[in-house]
Amino acid sequence: MLFLLNLKLLIKIELTMKSIITFFCCFLFVIMCNSQERYLTKSGAINFFSKTAMEDITADNNQVLSIVDAASGKMAISILMKSFLFKKALMQEHFNENYVESDKYPKATFKGDILNFDAINETASILKVKGILTIHGVSKEIIIEANFTKTNDAILVVGEFLINLADFEVEIPAVVAKNIAENIKVTFNFNHTPYKK
Amino acid sequence: MKTKKIIIGILVLGMLGAFVAYKMYNKPHVNVAEASTDISISAEKILADFSADEITANSKYLEKIIEVKGVVSELNIEKEKGIITLKTMDDFGSVLCHLSEEATKEMSVLIEGQTITVKGICTGYLMDVILIKSEIIN
Repeated sequence: MLFLLNLKLLIKIELTMKSIITFFCCFLFVIMCNSQERYLTKSGAINFFSKTAMEDITADNNQVLSIVDAASGKMAISILMKSFLFKKALMQEHFNENYVESDKYPKATFKGDILNFDAINETASILKVKGILTIHGVSKEIIIEANFTKTNDAILVVGEFLINLADFEVEIPAVVAKNIAENIKVTFNFNHTPYKK
Repeated sequence: MKTKKIIIGILVLGMLGAFVAYKMYNKPHVNVAEASTDISISAEKILADFSADEITANSKYLEKIIEVKGVVSELNIEKEKGIITLKTMDDFGSVLCHLSEEATKEMSVLIEGQTITVKGICTGYLMDVILIKSEIIN
């Protein structure tokens, strides 16, 4: 009889242990779910376009890193200047060596807050992003409008804005000044997916 | 007679100059497949170099043609261009190789876990070391 009681007790203990473990597992799972609030892309696209009467110049970068923190509505973007590809090799060389001096300043960055981030949902909505843009070692506060779409497993951010070369102390020699616009149109397309690991 | 010769000389020089200028203006992009490799390295080592000291690594690797050997951890195609992720011991970082159009066609034979060598131009380090215009060597 006593032996049986002992066995029952043992089973009971084992069961509680099991439920505790299950509870902890659930708890861990919840924590892991919460840490999934970050959305990221390593292959975001940025294009810039300079239009003058003399010529149109365009360059693409498909290796942009962009992170959106869905909990706080913060956004961070990192761009490698040498990843911009031009049609002409010479233009790319001038861009890197003379204009943005990418050996000295290899990255451009943007850090900012998405205003009214809670408003984003499955239908595209235009929101303002306010933050600091750093190009060519010069930081400047800007406000950009972008189109945000959030689905279950992605946050899509699409938009365009103008940057003024003089604002970022990018000097264009007089000889080619007619070929390069003072204001460059920048378009971006980031498809963020939940960050796991 | 003498002046004529001089004029012809100047004309030839001018034409040569124009030709060189035109050639320079239309200078082709580096052909990664045909260009000789500057540095051969493992995925592990290049990432370790960048995460240890990015500035030094930048001056060592940027715009260089680099052959990286590593184990494939992910194969993606975005906008018709292939992206190969090479695994490293690091938890977050890896080597991301953005393929050329030709190399994208060859990507279908690759499988995850395979050890390969990729040749590309290093443009820098974000979370990962990035190679562009990459070709699959083997």
